[in-house]
Amino acid sequence: MARLTLDSVTKRFDDVVAVDGVSVDIEDGEFLVLVGPSGCGKSTTLRMIAGLESISEGDIRLGQTSLSGKRPKERDIAMVFQSYALYPHMTVRENMSFGLEESTDLDDDTIRQKVEDAASMLDIDDLLGRKPDELSGGQQQRVALGRAIVRDPEVFLMDEPLSNLDAKLRAQMRTELQRIQENLDTTTVYVTHDQTEAMTMGDRIAILDGGHLQQVGTPLEVYHKPANRFVAGFIGEPSMNFFEMEVQGDRLVGDDFAYPLSEESRAAVEGSSHVTLGIRPEDVEVVEEGDGRHEFETVVDVVEPMGNENNVYLAFSPEREHSFVATVGGMRSVESGQPVVARFPESAIHLFDAETGAALKNRSLDELESSEPRL
Amino acid sequence: MFDAFFRALGRSRETRETESHSDDVRTDGGVADPAMAGEAEASSSSVLDSEFVQSLPFWGPPALLVGLFVYGAVAWNVLISLTDWSGLGQPEYENFDLSVYSQMLNDLLDPTSNFFVATRNTVALLVAFTVITLLLGLLLAILVDQGVRFENTFRTIYLLPMSLSFVVTAIFWSWMYNPSIGLINETLRTVGLGAFTQAWLSNPQFKLGAVIFALMWQFSGYAMIVYLAGLQAIPNEQYEAARTDGASTFRMYRRVVVPQLRSSTTSAAVVLMVFALKAFDFLFVMFGPNPGPSTDILSVMMFREAFMSTNWAYGSGIATVLFLMALGVIAPYLYRQYQRGEL
Repeated sequence: MARLTLDSVTKRFDDVVAVDGVSVDIEDGEFLVLVGPSGCGKSTTLRMIAGLESISEGDIRLGQTSLSGKRPKERDIAMVFQSYALYPHMTVRENMSFGLEESTDLDDDTIRQKVEDAASMLDIDDLLGRKPDELSGGQQQRVALGRAIVRDPEVFLMDEPLSNLDAKLRAQMRTELQRIQENLDTTTVYVTHDQTEAMTMGDRIAILDGGHLQQVGTPLEVYHKPANRFVAGFIGEPSMNFFEMEVQGDRLVGDDFAYPLSEESRAAVEGSSHVTLGIRPEDVEVVEEGDGRHEFETVVDVVEPMGNENNVYLAFSPEREHSFVATVGGMRSVESGQPVVARFPESAIHLFDAETGAALKNRSLDELESSEPRL
Repeated sequence: MFDAFFRALGRSRETRETESHSDDVRTDGGVADPAMAGEAEASSSSVLDSEFVQSLPFWGPPALLVGLFVYGAVAWNVLISLTDWSGLGQPEYENFDLSVYSQMLNDLLDPTSNFFVATRNTVALLVAFTVITLLLGLLLAILVDQGVRFENTFRTIYLLPMSLSFVVTAIFWSWMYNPSIGLINETLRTVGLGAFTQAWLSNPQFKLGAVIFALMWQFSGYAMIVYLAGLQAIPNEQYEAARTDGASTFRMYRRVVVPQLRSSTTSAAVVLMVFALKAFDFLFVMFGPNPGPSTDILSVMMFREAFMSTNWAYGSGIATVLFLMALGVIAPYLYRQYQRGEL
């Protein structure tokens, strides 16, 4: 069927390299999310798959056939645009039939039937006679989706389709999109800058930065085993805390604290003189007092209550501006100015090479299941 | 003194707002000053305080001038057409009748009469010129919109003829069309198509066509600008969506782009048609007051009847007909604007 292969795809605009040698295999029926900060080349990659941009180097294959040089209409690909790009002079029905009329030889009755089926799947049957400007944003979004679904293409391409919706609707559409994609089982490439969307929707996530592919993996893989510091910082909200440390024997020494290493961790940092210590906010344990080796005296700087949890910004001393985040339970009361002890369990820390950013040691997952519920 | 007047004006408007919205929360414009409102209320019974009277100095004089010199003149022209004024005397405003118009209706039934010929040519010019100019303008706009280099330069070059006066274009094109030394025939002869050379401006078969072509040359740049604005208002995603939907370039323009240019077409068409009706100076400079039956149009005929044959009443009648035609052209446009609440 439709296995989509990107084979060291490169895109140059004059002398700017927008996408640099990206290779991903997307299985048939897989939902791949391309995620990254703006300007990372994710949209350009998607547009190259769609045929809206030419490929400077490399190849894109659908099944066994190369797509490069083929025009968009020859690719059997449907795209959903961020702005929806509905044709304003056409009714919803005309919008949805347009693609079938242009790309297939189906007769009018079949087209009508297909449009109605797709419309009922998206719950927009009663909007078929309306024009786009009579629809709400959410309805327009559904029509845009319907326009792609009705074509029954080999591949769906979605360019930040939910970013124009309000938060509530976005969460709802997120679930619905996943449901539809699972039912249709169509290979999908979904571009977003929102790491929550990436985590919740994708079968796999491909993270891009500066035109380079950083990592491809399942959501939990990229979360717990980031390939480098960029991925570690990009995935997760609030993002991972980073501390620049110097390797001194069996200790890491930073500006604010020193962190003793176990044998295993020491082996991992062998050969690096400077490393970055990373720890996720939910792994920082906030305790009243302690005297262990991985516990540090801090002062609460700011507390952001979220209801279910609190994001606590901790500083090593009141004068230091640099603070780091810890997530504690929502029922726990922490106040600004309060001195607390932060524990960085060694099993939860990530170590990255300070120069290359490559991961030297990721958190251990053994304790994930058995970890004690924290306060 | 003016100071006091402006203050009074401002105050009475404040009062109106406070009175009508006294129960509403004022969301903008700040808080009404109760003292001021009370002061104005005391004198608000006076007619002089009404908005109509107070704004009169601003719209009154222009309305008066336009009314007198535009609409007054139009009305006077209609009045003259109802008399039977001709020759060197003064009009007699005593017996008004529609004899001029009944004569026109009779003329319309006679295919050899001047009025019939002029009307036919006017309509032909109007329709052919408008349609061809719009099509050419659309084509130019689509070409210029392809993201070509020097887009702005092209735009200026195409628009430039529009800035020339009709008189200049007429003389320029009469040189172009000159049978012996004109550029068109010269070019035809140079490329070996000498058989196609024509006396463009004297051959009745080509005369009107030559005029339409010259006018089109002058106005297609304008149509292009209007269409270009329309094209650039269509977001890029629309083109991309159409492409991924599998439409070829031609189908994409025909089904997605051109239908969205409807309002550009309407506004450009109205302007072009009104210009076509006013093409008097162009034809007058090219052919003088007697262009002959193949190119005679109503505006030239009007001039001839009124100022050469001194058939003042008949000339006024033609002017009225032209006025009604122009009205007929812009009325649908105005009506649509009105329906959309833009008027």
